[in-house]
Amino acid sequence: MKPWSLLLVLLVALPLVVGVVNLPPHDAPDAPIHTGVGVRYLARGVEETGNKNLVTAVLLNYRGFDTFFEVVVIFTALAAVLALPRGSAADPGGAPAAAAKAANGSDIVPVSPVVSYVVRLMAPFMAMFALAMLFRGHVTPGGGFQAAAVFAAIFIALGLVLGPTRVAELVPDDWRPWLQGAAPLAFALIAAIGWRLTGAFLGFPTDDHTAQEAMGLFLEVGIALGGGVILARLFVEMET
Amino acid sequence: MLLFGLDLDYVLVVVLFCVGLYMLVSKSNLLKKLLGLNVMETAVFAFIVTSGMIEGGDPPILVAGTAAPYASPIPQAMVLTGIVVAVSVTAVALALIVQIHAHFGTIEVDELKELP
Amino acid sequence: MSDVFDAVMLSLLIATAVSVARARDLLAAVVIFSLYSLTMTLVWQHRGAPDVAMTEAAVGAGVTTVLFLITIARTTRREKP
Repeated sequence: MKPWSLLLVLLVALPLVVGVVNLPPHDAPDAPIHTGVGVRYLARGVEETGNKNLVTAVLLNYRGFDTFFEVVVIFTALAAVLALPRGSAADPGGAPAAAAKAANGSDIVPVSPVVSYVVRLMAPFMAMFALAMLFRGHVTPGGGFQAAAVFAAIFIALGLVLGPTRVAELVPDDWRPWLQGAAPLAFALIAAIGWRLTGAFLGFPTDDHTAQEAMGLFLEVGIALGGGVILARLFVEMET
Repeated sequence: MLLFGLDLDYVLVVVLFCVGLYMLVSKSNLLKKLLGLNVMETAVFAFIVTSGMIEGGDPPILVAGTAAPYASPIPQAMVLTGIVVAVSVTAVALALIVQIHAHFGTIEVDELKELP
Repeated sequence: MSDVFDAVMLSLLIATAVSVARARDLLAAVVIFSLYSLTMTLVWQHRGAPDVAMTEAAVGAGVTTVLFLITIARTTRREKP
């Protein structure tokens, strides 16, 4: 098996190296990436979108479709994980699996008090950091996705210490479906509002900065809540 | 950094990609395959981010204290969505691996092939 | 200075990637992969992509690693030769 896989890797590497050698050096100011549409974003992005952080501007305003269906992708990932059948008591492989698990001794690992204390101490500060990234994302590095990842990290850290079921209870059952779908729903709502205001699906009114900033912030909050809850739920699903 | 006319950063990305690809095709353990896939993904992200760099450039955040030239914002935004998609793919694959282990008691492809 | 930083980081990247491929212990492989992600984060931060660096630090080095660790806890830690 090994020589063939090495050969395959070499076969893939060769065209890649040839392609890479023919690219312009990556910091050259005259490379195509620095003369294309990015120039316009850099020149007019702040005035057109009100976002000083142009990465956020590209994500939400210029390439909104991409982000819309990207949040649909992570929603679909959660749906796929939830749709997997659970448990395996009836099948023949169940016994060796259980035996392997007992041999691993991985069922219950007591959490060290130091870890427990540090996680509980840090959680509020992490939450503050996530909120700062969320609401200052248009002028500093940060934004919806980063805040979502940090929110999920808080949930997961607490879940490791307190146990996943207690963390799952932090999200009320009635809200759970809405929170898990928050990101696609927020995008759909803003897309409809943008359609009403500008006549284009997911359009942003470029002349009204207040409306634009409110719509952007709504999207960011939706992404942060939805993404964070989905990532945390993935953890809970795998842990229990 | 240039060496013998080669752009070292791009060459590094190709090397990382190939290490990941090698893990993906040659390892029998499903978890190792998935780690290889993750290494490949990160290499591709590194390639895209690197292509958007500019000599002496600041991050594309136009606040006081920064000055042109700025790095291109488009690759960074694309990679940002890509990272989140990558973790979704990883989560689904890991859930499948857990199920495979629960049903067949192994996560080695060689052994899974021998099963009746 | 910047060249030295680059050289150290890039060699660390290659070293960690190869170690992930070589490690027989899956737990070690996952921990080294986390180190690989963190190194990548530093490189991106250094090169003017703070947004991407932040996401990679939280998602690539944090969430992904935890998911892998859970999987190891629920399956097996040893890769069969």
